[in-house]
Amino acid sequence: MKLNSHYADVPENQSALAPVDVKSEQLSLQDPRAVLSLLEADQVVAAKRRTHFGRKNLSIATKALLWGLRVYVVAMLVIVLISVYQAIHAAH
Amino acid sequence: MDAPDKNPNLLAGQTAHPTTESAVASAAAPELIGLVTHEDVDRARDRWEVARARWTGRSKKFGGIRLLWLLVGPGVLVFLGENDAPSMLSYSADGSRYGVGFFIPFVVLTFIMGFIVQEMTVRLGTVTHRGHAELIFDRFGKFWGFFAMGDLIFGNFLTLVTEFIGVRAGLGFFGVRPSIAVGGALVIVVAAITTGRYWTWERITLSLAIFNGLFIPAAILARPDWHAVGHAMVTWMPLPSGSRYEILLLILATIGATVTPWMLFFQQSAVVDKGMQPRDINAGRFDTLLGALLASVFAIAAILATVPLFHHGINAADFQAAQFAEALEPLIGHTGAALFALGIFEAGIVAAIAISTSSAYAFGEVMQTGHSLNRPLREAWPFYLTLFGSACAAAALVLIPRFPLEFVVLTVNVIAVLAMPPALAFLLLLVNDPEVMGEHVNGFWANVAGVTVTVLLIIAGLGFGLATVFPRLLGG
Repeated sequence: MKLNSHYADVPENQSALAPVDVKSEQLSLQDPRAVLSLLEADQVVAAKRRTHFGRKNLSIATKALLWGLRVYVVAMLVIVLISVYQAIHAAH
Repeated sequence: MDAPDKNPNLLAGQTAHPTTESAVASAAAPELIGLVTHEDVDRARDRWEVARARWTGRSKKFGGIRLLWLLVGPGVLVFLGENDAPSMLSYSADGSRYGVGFFIPFVVLTFIMGFIVQEMTVRLGTVTHRGHAELIFDRFGKFWGFFAMGDLIFGNFLTLVTEFIGVRAGLGFFGVRPSIAVGGALVIVVAAITTGRYWTWERITLSLAIFNGLFIPAAILARPDWHAVGHAMVTWMPLPSGSRYEILLLILATIGATVTPWMLFFQQSAVVDKGMQPRDINAGRFDTLLGALLASVFAIAAILATVPLFHHGINAADFQAAQFAEALEPLIGHTGAALFALGIFEAGIVAAIAISTSSAYAFGEVMQTGHSLNRPLREAWPFYLTLFGSACAAAALVLIPRFPLEFVVLTVNVIAVLAMPPALAFLLLLVNDPEVMGEHVNGFWANVAGVTVTVLLIIAGLGFGLATVFPRLLGG
């Protein structure tokens, strides 16, 4: 399965290291090639730290939705406080 | 091939894309080979076990079972962690106030909703290898990221307080002093997190989580009418009667016992820390389904365990954890009551571990510090400090004399439901984003299910809001 990958665009003569046979019972994780053979490209901590998914352009509708839900949460928290106050008041 | 020192920063500033390409086959491999960390080695070790289980599984009789055993974890933990102290108390309130009826199939429905939501986090984590907080910050920016984090941290802290309330109340049934109960719980939390290995932490926490099943023998000792249980599952009858406001509040609390924001952040981060890859998605779905199934059975058991209170007309409206166990003792016996109390204690402990871990994951992802249970303490001390610090702060609050803990317990599940729609909006936007998900983007029916869950939560929240502001609307 090949997804859209920057690494896939690099010509073959610039690729990588020889992979290690990960089916071998004698595999040693002291060999960093073995570690890299078992992980996907962006599972490696150093790779993840240096690459980020870019900012998504949000449509006006999406922004309105997010803002609407934010207002909803704030309003509901106020109502929760009212509810708690009513519960205390009823208890006393 | 360019030598690494001619491309010292091959990766910096590059945009991430979903990829299944092996790291050793990537163009950045010559650079990465010198940057492999302890965390990478531990994760590779876990992947090697999974790979071996895959190869040998085809020839061995129980090979497939071993593979599932290796990959099961985040889904079971998230659902059994969500069967926390306030959740089990919500289920207990369902049983004690309304008996066998509507709430039993309703609980099953809430877990179906939970599965729909959590399955998306499995795909997000396995495809992007990034936690939920990190993705929100990357794709939506700091402004929306801090909003999402604010909801999470606020909700998590309140929930953590209730977990330690549960721990205190559960062990209080056995006469254990609050300071000893809470202190002992903190020791267990520390013991679980300082293993330096995600795998070990996961197995320890799973071992504790399975004790959520203590509610099953407690339910059996309550001698439920199984015919009535079967009838309720099919017909949803009888419907709850009485104050409509209280029924609505309990409906909201029951939903909040199953779908909460911290679950999204926790499972996705745990899937990433476990090193799962897109080929593991089906196993992740099985893991999530297994967790939902187990948790729903244990939740129904908690309902059934407290039905005797309903039959004896005992008003459990203001009951806290210890009071449930004490009230049950003459009805289901000391053993049954003790099992119930132990179950509440377990619910509190496991949730305390899972929820404080979710806060630490989110903090580490946002602050770009080490955030893996595969890292030792000295390498990821901010991560562990957040984890342990949040647990300690919550535990300390529980020990303050005359602190109004009942208000926190009353509101925490309701707040969880109310905070869920924005969290689901971010989740749906991410899981429908082809630049993030590649070919694993949401399909039509997954979107229908996800939007339906979101709309139902908003309607439930609005209903609660209207009923609170206009109590006469429900005749209350």
